[in-house]
Amino acid sequence: MGKYLLRRILQMIPVVLGATLLVYALVFALPGDPVKAMFGDKPVNEAVAAQIRAEYNLDKPFIIQYLLFLKNALTLDFGNTFAGQPVIDEIARAFPVTIRLGIMAFCFEAIFGIIFGIISGLNKGKWYDTVILLISLLLISVPTFVTGFAGQYFLGVEWSIIPVTAGSDPGFFDLLFPAMVLGSVSMAYIIRLARSEISSNIAEDYVRTARAKGMSNGSVMVRHVLRNSLIPVVTYLGQDLGALMGGAMISEQIFNIHGVGFLTYQSILKGEGNLVVSIVTLLLLIFVICNLLVDLLYAALDPRIRYA
Amino acid sequence: METNNVNEKLLAMQKAQGPLLEVKDLKVDFTTDDKRAVHAVRDSSFSVYPGQWVAIVGESGSGKSTSAMAVLGLLPGTGKVVGGSIKLDGQEISGLKPKEFDKLRGTKMGLVPQDPMSNLNPVYRIGTQVKEALKANGMDVAHEKRSALAKALAGDEVAVKTNDDETFIGSAELPALLDAAKDALAKIGVTGDRADEFMKAFKDEWVPGSETRWRVADDLIKAGVKDDDAWVIAKKYVTGSTLNDRIAGLLSEAGLPDAATRARQYPHEFSGGMRQRALIAIGLACRPELLIADEPTSALDVTVQKKILDHLHYLTDSLGTAVLFITHDLGLAAERAQHIVVMYKGQVVESGPSLEVLQHPQHPYTKRLVAAAPSLASQRIISAHQRGENADALLEHHIVGEDKLEKSENIITVEHLTKEFKLPRKKEMFKAVDDVSFSVKRGSTLAIVGESGSGKSTVANMVLKLLEPTAGTVTYEGKDISGFKGKELLDFRRHVQPVFQNPYGSLDPMYSIYRSIEEPLRIHKIGDTKSRQKRVRELLDMVEMPESVMTRYPNELSGGQRQRIAIARAMALNPDVIVCDEAVSALDVLVQDQVLHLLNDLQAEQGLSYLFITHDLAVVRQIADEVVVMQHGKLVEHATTDEVFAHPKMQYTKDLLDAIPGGKLQLGLD
Repeated sequence: MGKYLLRRILQMIPVVLGATLLVYALVFALPGDPVKAMFGDKPVNEAVAAQIRAEYNLDKPFIIQYLLFLKNALTLDFGNTFAGQPVIDEIARAFPVTIRLGIMAFCFEAIFGIIFGIISGLNKGKWYDTVILLISLLLISVPTFVTGFAGQYFLGVEWSIIPVTAGSDPGFFDLLFPAMVLGSVSMAYIIRLARSEISSNIAEDYVRTARAKGMSNGSVMVRHVLRNSLIPVVTYLGQDLGALMGGAMISEQIFNIHGVGFLTYQSILKGEGNLVVSIVTLLLLIFVICNLLVDLLYAALDPRIRYA
Repeated sequence: METNNVNEKLLAMQKAQGPLLEVKDLKVDFTTDDKRAVHAVRDSSFSVYPGQWVAIVGESGSGKSTSAMAVLGLLPGTGKVVGGSIKLDGQEISGLKPKEFDKLRGTKMGLVPQDPMSNLNPVYRIGTQVKEALKANGMDVAHEKRSALAKALAGDEVAVKTNDDETFIGSAELPALLDAAKDALAKIGVTGDRADEFMKAFKDEWVPGSETRWRVADDLIKAGVKDDDAWVIAKKYVTGSTLNDRIAGLLSEAGLPDAATRARQYPHEFSGGMRQRALIAIGLACRPELLIADEPTSALDVTVQKKILDHLHYLTDSLGTAVLFITHDLGLAAERAQHIVVMYKGQVVESGPSLEVLQHPQHPYTKRLVAAAPSLASQRIISAHQRGENADALLEHHIVGEDKLEKSENIITVEHLTKEFKLPRKKEMFKAVDDVSFSVKRGSTLAIVGESGSGKSTVANMVLKLLEPTAGTVTYEGKDISGFKGKELLDFRRHVQPVFQNPYGSLDPMYSIYRSIEEPLRIHKIGDTKSRQKRVRELLDMVEMPESVMTRYPNELSGGQRQRIAIARAMALNPDVIVCDEAVSALDVLVQDQVLHLLNDLQAEQGLSYLFITHDLAVVRQIADEVVVMQHGKLVEHATTDEVFAHPKMQYTKDLLDAIPGGKLQLGLD
């Protein structure tokens, strides 16, 4: 077990290195000169531009820039933005917002996904099973920005039920609808996953054996059907936690939430290489760690799985 | 004559109490998707008396399992009892509400299901799953209370024991009990070797959670201890066990060794036989009066099957449990049950005392069953050479084939074949096959027999060149197959074809039957579309399947039909050798019989050679000319079939022969 954990952690190193290199290269290859863009409509002062380039190592070849970034990153110095703010401060401001949004979306998809999945799975063929299935199909097939914009327009602008935008320091109610939009697709997948797991587990032989023991319907459902059905659901949820953080970009953009997604998008536009790479690395780490936790959780939930 | 009297008396005693289970004119329907009713059971009646073993025999789809599940109130899917009555202990149970059924299951009726692999929940420990059975029926509370009460009254004169309120040995008190027993023996002058003998017997007998107070006292009295002393010891030290002791006790009653440790393990750490023992422990945990055993051993090896049924018999006899035993094997039914009920297409076609049904079958279906039962057939001789017409044809073919081509007598020769596997986390290699040599004679059948894990399938895979041997050679037509590559290998594949065990898994569900059979022809680029179509028709005709199946898919066919398709596919390329890896093990007896006859006839017509892998010696007798017996990867016996059956040399072979169900039954041959 310890060996397995160590191996998985060591495996993260090449993943992180490769991903940062890739993202760095992509930012480097972006068209346009970020320094020139800083001057806006004013004429470019070549001396100042050169000074800025030197300060941000933009005058050096790509690979040197990347290695310098890595060297600093190891000492937790992620450099500054072009506006002079330390990158770490920007991230520290944006992350809590996204984490709040992500956790709300996660709770939404977990609670409603599992509840509707159970209702559907236990009542296969009934009319409300069909309704739940249709809604989940709709949520899966419509892109989130459509759901987001449509909800924003009707619920926010027309009927004023929800705040139209969230702003820079959003509270629970500001984030409620964006979180629902963010979690909606995963919720639909969870409904379908839980439904198919439950309806197949209910026909398992061990469920019949449990009934033959004289167990009541309720405890057979809880102990044998739900317990076994939730294993894949829980692993799906775990993997989704990481994906939610990265996937927040669209909802944050629609509802003007100043989180990580918003920040990433803005910094890509401005060509802020250090910022983009730092954020992506962090998201990547969260994703990889979530995956590792899911694998460990999987082993804890299903005794047939053992890592060596 | 005397045994008959005993049996009659027993039967009279059972009948005097009235039936425990009485099923009358039972009708069970299933509803199809388009709302049509399918009558799975029609007007079936049978009864089970207390303590009696009654067997329901029939092929799959005959309604035998459905009848049993109707009794338990566990009909699957759309199944519904639509008529007739089911009485348990005189109480009508067919219309009960689910909640009322919950109360009956476990305490009144228990189930030992068919497939031990799928009937235990993989996520819970074995002990937990036994505990559930006790808990569901309030036996856990009763147990703890009873133990506490017994402890409070320890040594007192008050007897706690009533009918089913037993007091068991606890693991904590066991050492003290054994010491007391030793002292008691010393007191009556039993010392030295004799005392050791008694103590050893006690240690074996006194399983915590299973052995009761009065049996401890009884054992002591039998050993010579005075009645009063024995009861004082029993009352003082047998004061009830914990729930965990009880669980371990139940498991060890079901024949699971080292039960306390085993109870903490998960199902996937158990073999099939061990899982079935755990399921028996679960089925009997709450001491039901009726145990429904639904093909409890058909998924297991024959030797394991015998052990488990022997144990189940012993256990239900000592507990006085009646058993409704469901099986497709008439021989097995006759050997185990006092009464047989034969079901066919949802109806009871015959019922009566076991031997009577077997010796004087009345219904044509029962007659077919008697003729087809492998276990019974094994008592007669049906080897290929002695089967009149076929044998002649076969012999002629032999001579013709060999004269023309002047080929060697042996088509496949295996020499010093060894296969080692690396086990995870272990240094030493595991020898799955250890120095095995034999040869398959042209136009004959060689059977490899052994339990699962004996390495027989590994040999088959090496002969098929699906696995590379660690050492040794396989030669086909005098050529070493290890060097085969490219065209040569393709040619080898064309002439040596496999038929695998599981007809459900060996056909691609996405391929139509036509495509499945045509595929080998296409791969080997034989003929054009038209000639291939003609060939597929011929092949289907050969395996006695209608042309109309060509457009159908595997899931629309039964197991036997699929296996015919698999054989047709293997025959497509006109092979010389067919390797049958447990090709009939998964099939019903009647279907098995048909497939074996088909293989026999094909051999006679085409001069095929078979390498037949099986764990079932009964099948061997029907098909093989020579037998190779394997145990733990080694070849332990090699002789002609008749020789092996008449004079088995190794104890292991004798065990395998003994394990054939119904092997010792005397048939009144007509």
